[in-house]
Amino acid sequence: MSSWSSAQHPPGVAPQAPYAYQHSESLSIPSAGARSNLISSAAPAFIPVQVRQSFGSYVAPPPPPYNPYASSSPQSQPATPTTSTSPAAPVEQPKGTKTEWPESVRRYVQRSFHPENDDPSVSRAELEAKLKDTIGSAKENNSLYTIDWDNMPLPQALVRADREAQLKLHHRAAPITTPIYTDDSFNPRKRKSNDFSHDSSAPPPWHSTNAGRSLEDRISYSPEKRAALDDPKSSKFQKEANKRKRRFENEYKAANVASLSLNPPPPSGPIVGTSEVLEKKYLRLTAPPVPSNVRPERVLRQTLELLKKKWRKEGNYSYICDQFKSMRQDLTVQRIKNEFTVSVYEIHARIALEKGDIGEYNQCQTQLRSLYAMGLKGNPIEFKAYRILYFIHTANRTGLNDTLADLTAAEKEERPIKHALSVRSALALGNYHKFFQLYLDTPNMGAYLMDMFVARERLAALCNICKGYKPDVKLRFITEELGFESDADAAQFIIDYQGQHLLEDRTEYIAFLTGKANGLFENSRAAAFQKVDIKGQI
Amino acid sequence: MNELFKGFAKAHAEQNGYLLAATLSPVSPADNPQRLRSIWKSSNAHSVKGDIKHWIKSNSSRNLDHEEIKGWVEVYAAYWNAVGDIVAGEDGKSTWTKVYESWKELTSVLIRGYNNFGFEAWTIPCLYMVGKYLRLFAIKSDTERSRNLGDNSGGASLMQDDFDPETEKQGQLRDCEQHLKRIFTLCLNDRAPLEESRKWGIYFIINLLFKTYFKLNSASLSRTILKTLSAYRGDMPPLSAFPKSQRVTFKFYEGVLFFLEENYVEAEKHLVEAWELCHKDAKPNLERILTYLIPCRLLTSHVLPTKALLEPFPRLQKLFLPLAQCIKKGDLHAFDLALQEGEDEFVKRRIYLTLERGRDIALRNLLRKVFIAGGFDEPKEGETTPVRRTRVPVAEFRAAICMGSGGELMDTDEVECLIANMIYKDLMKGYIARERGIVVLSKKGAFPGTGV
Repeated sequence: MSSWSSAQHPPGVAPQAPYAYQHSESLSIPSAGARSNLISSAAPAFIPVQVRQSFGSYVAPPPPPYNPYASSSPQSQPATPTTSTSPAAPVEQPKGTKTEWPESVRRYVQRSFHPENDDPSVSRAELEAKLKDTIGSAKENNSLYTIDWDNMPLPQALVRADREAQLKLHHRAAPITTPIYTDDSFNPRKRKSNDFSHDSSAPPPWHSTNAGRSLEDRISYSPEKRAALDDPKSSKFQKEANKRKRRFENEYKAANVASLSLNPPPPSGPIVGTSEVLEKKYLRLTAPPVPSNVRPERVLRQTLELLKKKWRKEGNYSYICDQFKSMRQDLTVQRIKNEFTVSVYEIHARIALEKGDIGEYNQCQTQLRSLYAMGLKGNPIEFKAYRILYFIHTANRTGLNDTLADLTAAEKEERPIKHALSVRSALALGNYHKFFQLYLDTPNMGAYLMDMFVARERLAALCNICKGYKPDVKLRFITEELGFESDADAAQFIIDYQGQHLLEDRTEYIAFLTGKANGLFENSRAAAFQKVDIKGQI
Repeated sequence: MNELFKGFAKAHAEQNGYLLAATLSPVSPADNPQRLRSIWKSSNAHSVKGDIKHWIKSNSSRNLDHEEIKGWVEVYAAYWNAVGDIVAGEDGKSTWTKVYESWKELTSVLIRGYNNFGFEAWTIPCLYMVGKYLRLFAIKSDTERSRNLGDNSGGASLMQDDFDPETEKQGQLRDCEQHLKRIFTLCLNDRAPLEESRKWGIYFIINLLFKTYFKLNSASLSRTILKTLSAYRGDMPPLSAFPKSQRVTFKFYEGVLFFLEENYVEAEKHLVEAWELCHKDAKPNLERILTYLIPCRLLTSHVLPTKALLEPFPRLQKLFLPLAQCIKKGDLHAFDLALQEGEDEFVKRRIYLTLERGRDIALRNLLRKVFIAGGFDEPKEGETTPVRRTRVPVAEFRAAICMGSGGELMDTDEVECLIANMIYKDLMKGYIARERGIVVLSKKGAFPGTGV
């Protein structure tokens, strides 16, 4: 009992050694004013990240021992085996290594060769091959001790199931996974991770992320257990029905389990890429990544340089976004988390901000938050300030509360964060006067974010003013209080919301007849404040 | 182990679910601290199932169904396994992660017992016991894993485009949530007649799920559970038929959920209910309820807690009294300081953003003082009762706000903005005549609900 799980956890990736040299090479953003074209201007918008080739100080995380790719790819780093089972141990010869087979496996093998289980349609050779395959992959998966061998279908059944699966390949392809992975765990993480809250039957967003661990468990479920998991029935009344159902389903389930064990076992650690191609189209992974399609950090650094040049020159957002996504993917599958990673996410976040791609921006910001939390260098102040503004935009109180909890006293004094916090409290207290002053004086690229909610705050302020002032105010007052560029803009805004009859031309000025508004802007205001649904929000 | 099965037999004879659940406790009772160890020692992996079967049969006077015995043998074998890990853990030879895994297996086996081996509904306290500790072990395992740091997650994140550190940090608890949800479904979907239905387990499990979601910082997922529950409302026994302890917890979480959604009116309803149901000696729970009920009432009815109410709760006094005093006095500056002072604590309890809005009340009280200080107008002809001066220059309000903000100067536009807000929120009745620089207040109730 005590020995079984020691082999279960492949040792984690060693934490990265911090850099010996700290450079001021992290991206710094010109602070004030020129928020437009911050990135696309001809002058280098970023101080480019130097490729640290000369130091060579980045040490790739050692791949964990159970990585089938590490041992098969010629360019990968040597694996560092930390347990007695060699990572390279070929699946075909499990008996060659000094593994202690658990009693249950021995029983399983015995059962397989028991004459009463003999199946004339399955030859001895087939049987042995299947048996080796089953046990071998279980060993590789570290599930030798977790599989319920006593209830594991015999190799004969598995072979029969394979044949059946072959025959019905096309019909089966979809249903095989659906009934078994009832919770969607084979799919990569859902983009719209926020959707779950609207759909009562949808699994929470983290379901899929447990796939790695639970996958092994799932494969090993006996048909009986599976039946139990799938449909809970009422108590005793259903017992007989259940029994019949189990009997009936046994074979069908066995077939499913069998066809599953055909799949290659999932790799259990990061891979090391070998691709030398700079550009790569983004494709959402539907299967474990292949090292030859993944670029190592050395190459990715060159990619980043290339992309920065291209963005400045061509400004093609859909191309850039796609390329950045594939970079992020390559970093993730290789578990590269260092300052280079930070700069990739920061640059992508800024570009996405500038282009108003709020979903992509949010994905980057979420990553950045955790990367900073690991102590990696970057521009945490700038991005923490964005994060506050972002949560104001999405009216995410939980997020705001958590962000407040994360800030240190010193950070609260930093100008961008102080600004964002003031924006927050001004809005919380309905102080639109202060809010629009802050709007006109936003550090970094925060104004891109504020632009997204300034219209709704204007509506809120208009509602306030219409109820509070009588009989009228000058249009100029609106222009100034609500941060419009000109009277014309202010008037246009009022007209856009059907308020043209409230504007009255008097000889010296234009009056805004607040007393006659009668809650005109209330509906627009309410609509504007309806929950903002952003994809990718976490 | 024989002891254990005496308990098992007794529980079955009496159909006492809680007694039965006690046999599945992962904690040795105080009067028998060696209980777990002796259970573990009384068998071995080889013969455990046979032993258990023997024990069950030799102790039970009541004729247990063959299938049922088979199910319980599986359950106790899984329990014995888990006990092994717990005992090994006490000796430093196991980890919470291992304990969690083996306890999870026990959970699965138990659920299977209901699905396949006809466990009866009176035994549901077993689900409580197992579910309760599954959650606790998951939390311990997560803490342990994050202490040992490193990347523990399996191959799943390999297929993702980005890392998800949160998932890694609370991986076990998230995993645990799935199993609790299985128990939830197990109870919810029982179609047996009510008197022998597992539906009676629903609120205990819901409360466990709520706790889990709050811990996972995903409180909003609790809504999903409530939605499912309300879809089954017709078949469900009324909440009032459930044990008080479960009702208090349920009402509390329901209230806090509304609170977090800024629906303070609904929140107040549920929290008051929880407050009234809560046992008078359950101080920590009363304190929890008040933590949310006080900010709620501040916003819904502008009521501040009295000293007497807070008397038994020193922590709450510290939390709320300074703020309450500032609000009462209309001291804006002191209010800001008090809010800042308690910020960490308020944020932690998720009441900061709510309390912040108490500033409106403080401001209202300040402006009201200005109004009262303005005295009365000259009575007009035919008027007998004196009428307060209802035309107040903005400058007077401005002076008060500037004084109240610690001498900081605020320009007239901003003062007007704050007044407009008061009017918009119905804290003040009247309007601003900007051209003339005065605020015209209502003759009948300029500050609604305050007697002037």
